[in-house]
Amino acid sequence: MKKTFQFLSLLIVISLLAACATPTPPPPAATEAPAATEAPAATQAPAAAEPVKLVIWWWGEQEAPGAQKWMDETIAKFQEANPNVTIEAVLQSTDTLIPAFKSAAAAKEGPDIQYFWGGVWTLEDAWAGSLVPLEDLIPQDELKHYINNFERTWDGKQWGTGWYLSGNPMVFNPDLFTQAGLDPANPPKTWDELKDACTKLNGIGVTPIAGGLKDGWFGGWLFSILARQTHDTEKDFMAASVGEMKFTDPNFAEWWSRLNELKEAGCWNKDINSLDYQQGQDMFVQGKAAMIFGNDTFLKGWADTIGWDKMDVMMVPKYGTGKLADTYIVTAQGMGITSWSKYPKEAAAFLMFMHTPDRLNAWFQDTGVFPADDRFDTNLITQPIMKKIFGWDTSVAGANLENFIPSMLDEQSNFAGVQLLFAGDKTPEELAALAEEVIAKWREQNPDALKNFEIWAK
Amino acid sequence: MPSRTSKSGLNNPDASLTIRKGGGLPLPYRPRKKFWRKLEPWLYLAPMLIAILFVFGYPLVSLIILSFQRRLSGVNTFVGLTNYKALFKDDVFLQAVKNNLMLVITVPIMVFIALILAVFLFERIRGWQLYRTTLFLPYLLPITVVGLIFSYIFQLSGVLNEFLNLIGLNFLALDWLGSTRYALPTLMFVIIWKEVGFGVVLFLARLMSVEEELFDAAKIDGANWWQLQWNITVPQLATVIEFFTVVSVITMLSWVFNYVFVMTGGGPGNSTMVTELFVYLMGFRYNQMNIASAVSVLLLLVTGFFIFLELRLRAGTSAAEVS
Repeated sequence: MKKTFQFLSLLIVISLLAACATPTPPPPAATEAPAATEAPAATQAPAAAEPVKLVIWWWGEQEAPGAQKWMDETIAKFQEANPNVTIEAVLQSTDTLIPAFKSAAAAKEGPDIQYFWGGVWTLEDAWAGSLVPLEDLIPQDELKHYINNFERTWDGKQWGTGWYLSGNPMVFNPDLFTQAGLDPANPPKTWDELKDACTKLNGIGVTPIAGGLKDGWFGGWLFSILARQTHDTEKDFMAASVGEMKFTDPNFAEWWSRLNELKEAGCWNKDINSLDYQQGQDMFVQGKAAMIFGNDTFLKGWADTIGWDKMDVMMVPKYGTGKLADTYIVTAQGMGITSWSKYPKEAAAFLMFMHTPDRLNAWFQDTGVFPADDRFDTNLITQPIMKKIFGWDTSVAGANLENFIPSMLDEQSNFAGVQLLFAGDKTPEELAALAEEVIAKWREQNPDALKNFEIWAK
Repeated sequence: MPSRTSKSGLNNPDASLTIRKGGGLPLPYRPRKKFWRKLEPWLYLAPMLIAILFVFGYPLVSLIILSFQRRLSGVNTFVGLTNYKALFKDDVFLQAVKNNLMLVITVPIMVFIALILAVFLFERIRGWQLYRTTLFLPYLLPITVVGLIFSYIFQLSGVLNEFLNLIGLNFLALDWLGSTRYALPTLMFVIIWKEVGFGVVLFLARLMSVEEELFDAAKIDGANWWQLQWNITVPQLATVIEFFTVVSVITMLSWVFNYVFVMTGGGPGNSTMVTELFVYLMGFRYNQMNIASAVSVLLLLVTGFFIFLELRLRAGTSAAEVS
């Protein structure tokens, strides 16, 4: 036992000495680009004698059912066009998508291409040196067609590409609206109209709005959907993250009170805190709830189950007068190329192949989800609800706020805070204060990320 | 040992004739052979030791190093105790520690339940073998499966509440997992339900090795049931109770991640956050590997203390038995 203690003590001393030793070499600086060569052709990888294996870790079947089929087909076609390239695609679960990549990044081993949500979900890993900028891998003429590039732009460089669009309409059941005495052709547009609709729907024994908060994600959605309405730009939230504004300022804090109003008006299912996000969404499909803050990527799947006539979409009713209140939330989910990939050019070639016209149209046909590319053949959109959404995507699109704040703030304030609001444990004012405490803690614990955020916020 | 300079030393060709042992053939003095004899077991152990050092030792050293560093200008820089100080100002971490300590409070309850059940099974009631198997079965189930099933059972509109409403006990149909007040106790219940079987089997196995004459003699002397348990059963089970208690404490401090992750995700509102989940979130969601490392080091020290305690108790017990 004495010897064990001596050994452990020696281990700790060695560790302390090593911790003070020469620091590890820094990752590639954000402004350095990999050595440039001529841009590859759009659908073919550069001629290479050696066999090339690309590994893709991706997510998306969960959000856009049919994505797996499309991915398998796309890989097969790319491999046919590039016989020396083989691609292994691994579909990640929602819970493993981020931690698996962080582990790979720590070991500098893993996928060549990684799936990312937009904004900070991509850029945190770019700041950590895990991604390469794409300017020298994908020509500007190609990049300009990709939608929502701004979500992946930092320090003047593009750190990933968009793949498909994911928007957040408010989805409602016209039949239940009619039963409650509401006009489905004229859904609620204002906050008071929404609360009135909740009262009427409760009157017929139907849950007005369904949700599930147990796994936290829906809390982040509610932040993005509601907190935007008192702002003109998502840059306000970036400014508050770096300390130039405060989350306790009235225009930041108001959304907590508005959410509480909906709760007090009986708009939500009582078991919201004990259901997962998906279970909450399922309540709408099962006809147990009249409205849902949904995702337009699910609509085709829902329609396959309940029919297009059992749903319609509306913009989120307004309480605020900021410019963002009139926008339709849409983000481009996408991909990035890792800094340890031995075949970045081949990886870029595959990303560009995903954006060829045949693949863009096939994506929409397989999933019913819009690709993040303006070369998509819009004649393929025949369903009226999808036409309505596409109109919003192209005319009144606005940023998804969750992508413009640190993930720690999203989880420790939005996820946890919304749960506490519905549990009745904290007031809206206390939750605004919690957000400010969390962001102050984030700034103190993450000096490097703070610097990067400051650059980004400009 | 014979002196080298004496007639009986190494250089003395007659040395082998001067050393005698037990009247048998004289044993020549051979220090080199003694050295190899001492070294031999270590040579056999070396491959495994190297593997263990590589698999556990290297990450452990890296972990400790990381905990004293922070990323500044893209470089991991030594910052002393900054990460540790930051932890003790972090409300979420402090909540996690508090919750782990609350879980430790369930250990005496678990030990007591396991003891009572083992004693009843030892009474050899009819069907005791079936009961033993039934009690041990939860312990064999994967935690993820148990967590998933109970997360459905304990939903506000779940099976339990539906049943309680059906039998008129509506006032008990609470939001077990959705309320900050009830989520942690609900988790405790599930953990006890799953882990108590291990204690039952341990205690029962020990009881079955106790000499029956002890119980018979006590009964002859007029001891009642309670006196039998207090004066014979519990003392006989002392070492096993110690072991199960220490193992359970270590479990509550560092082996509840799966329960929490599956059933509550640390919510609602961090009310079921535990240190392991905090490490996971810090390291793999928020990109703060240094802070996660600091928490891991603290967890290692605390669990290391309890492991040391168990080994000391065990050594003390063995010494007492020998004497």
